[in-house]
Parts: sequence; C-alpha cells; structure tokens
Amino acid sequence: MKRLITLSRRDPELPPFSAELAGRRRRVLDLPLIGWLTLIWVLLWSTLTWANIITGAVVAVFVSLAFPLPRVDLGLRLHPWGIVVLAGSLLYDMYTSGVKVTRQIFTGYPHRPAVIAVQLRCRSDLMMAAIAVSVSNTPGGSVIEVRRATATLFLHVLDADQPAALEAARRSVWRLERLTVRAFGTRDEIERVAGRPPDQGTGDPANPGDRGEEPDRGRDDEGRNGT
Amino acid sequence: MRVWTQFTDTLGAALVFTGAAICLLGVIGMLRLPDVLSRSHAATKPQTLGLLLVLAGVALRLRSGMDLATLALIGFFQLMTSPVASHLVARSAYRTGQIEHAELLIDDLDEQLTERAPEPEPEPGPGTD
Repeated sequence: MKRLITLSRRDPELPPFSAELAGRRRRVLDLPLIGWLTLIWVLLWSTLTWANIITGAVVAVFVSLAFPLPRVDLGLRLHPWGIVVLAGSLLYDMYTSGVKVTRQIFTGYPHRPAVIAVQLRCRSDLMMAAIAVSVSNTPGGSVIEVRRATATLFLHVLDADQPAALEAARRSVWRLERLTVRAFGTRDEIERVAGRPPDQGTGDPANPGDRGEEPDRGRDDEGRNGT
Repeated sequence: MRVWTQFTDTLGAALVFTGAAICLLGVIGMLRLPDVLSRSHAATKPQTLGLLLVLAGVALRLRSGMDLATLALIGFFQLMTSPVASHLVARSAYRTGQIEHAELLIDDLDEQLTERAPEPEPEPGPGTD
C-alpha cells in the first residue's frame, strides 16, 4: 500500500527533512523551506493565529510545488555561537563602514579605486554567496564579480592608495570568510578555512606557481586559465 | 514606568533621526562620487546602516512581539537583497564598459575577462548554475 505522504525518516533514499507526495510524478517537499515560508507569511500578517499558520502552510506547499528548486545539498549548518559572533562583527563593521564611506564622500580628495581579486578557501556555492553578502555589507569593498570555478571574488575597493590598503582589504575578506563559515558551514569547510589564506600558503593545487609578491601589481600575472 | 516609556520613545526617535540622516548621507555620496562603482558603495552601505537604525528606532517605539519580528524580517531582507542589487549593477556596469579603466589603480578582473575571451574554458563541475 502506498502512503499519501512519505517522510524521510521512513525512506532513507529521500534527502533529510523532506517528505514525498504520492502521485504520478515524484514530488519532494523540503520541510525546513516550508517552515521558513510559513514563518514569513505569519510575520507578514503580524498576527499569530491558527488561521494564519494554516493558510501560510498551504501557500508554502503550493509555492514550493509550483516553483520547485533544484535538488542540491546546500551544506547549510547552523552554529548558534558562530552566528552571534558573525552578527556582532557585521554590525560593528557596518558602523565603521558607514563612517568610512561618509568620510570619503566629504573629504573629496582624489581617491584611487582599484579592482582586486581575492581567492577564497572554501568552494561550496552557498558559502561563497554568504561570504559575498557579508563582504558587501562591510568596509573594504563591494563585490563586482564572482568566479565560481576558482572561488574568486572580485572586489572594488574605494581607497587603494597604498598597497597596505589592498592587503588590509584581502585580510578582512579572509576574516569574514572564517566567521561566515564558522556560522553556517559544514565541519569540512570549517577545517578548510582554519588553514592559511591561499595567497600565502604554497600547497594549493588549484593555483600553481608563485603569486609575485611585488606590492603594487597585485597577484594577477599568473593566468589561471592557462593551466 | 512612565519615565521608562518616555525614555524609550525619545531614544527611538533619536535612532530614527540618525538613520534618516545616514540615508541622506548616502544620497549625497551618490551625487558626489565620480563613477558607478564608487557610487554603488555610497548607495548600499550607508543605506543599510541607516535602515537598520530606523528599524531599531521603530522597534523601540512599537514594543510588541509580532511587530518586532516583522521588523527583524525587514532588516534580514535588506541585508540579503541590497548586496545582490549592488553586485548586479556593478557587474553589468563593468561588462558594458561603463568604467573609467584609467581611473583604476589595479584591475585584476579586466585581464581575466580579456584573457578569457578567445578560448572560453570549459566549466568544471556539474552545470548547476
């Protein structure tokens, strides 16, 4: 006898925390996603009643059936303490970032912007997106381009007069990477970001060759497309 | 109790005012800065900070649970969406040549894009873009 709804606890083939609906076509519901959509629905109505919760769940199921997402393992883990640290750091950075941008607006001296590439250590898509969002909210740069194949962020830095400023921007990206992965990453990713940044280490197989340490030219002389 | 209410009301008003002033600074920055990429800095960062301050001020005046949660939701979506918007603007500005390349001190991306043009590298990994 086929059940109407199969939970992933009963069926090890399903991804964790999901339910399968019986029917001609295979439809899998992601339960945390439905919970999150229901929560947003209730918050949008601003009143916590059973009617809101039930209509929210119905709308969430409908939405996730009508617009199915690709089945990927996001690799999202929640580490509460890491999230607190990340949030505090982001708030502080946002304050200093606001002050810094304001000063740059009003001092009016000719600043020299630059576009730099920063190599990340973690490779998962979700982590890269989270890092890009964190970086955009802090001083140091706004993200112009993300290259997924090599996990490289391209940042626009407002004040790049000295090479030290560029180095500081890179270091702040790596610090945010560590904080973000410690808040949301899998154990594997956390171990990976505990290592040294890829520019300084030598054992990264994805980036052969040395990076050219001259401070004013950056590290882009090695074409990574040539390999 | 009454003193406390008045205190939070005043603090909330001060926060709303500060947030609005910071948003205004962002707008002034958009007018003063020279090019698209610099302007996107001014458009996103002070705006986000200002909006969060406004939300905090409103939260101090509203003081009810569900409203606070709604405000938190607004802040969350602001944090999530504004970097995406600025990234898309910056990316399309860069790719359509709206950038003064002479103004940039260092440009790592330009070489990669021009280098990439003759032979596009095959995308490694599953094509889940």
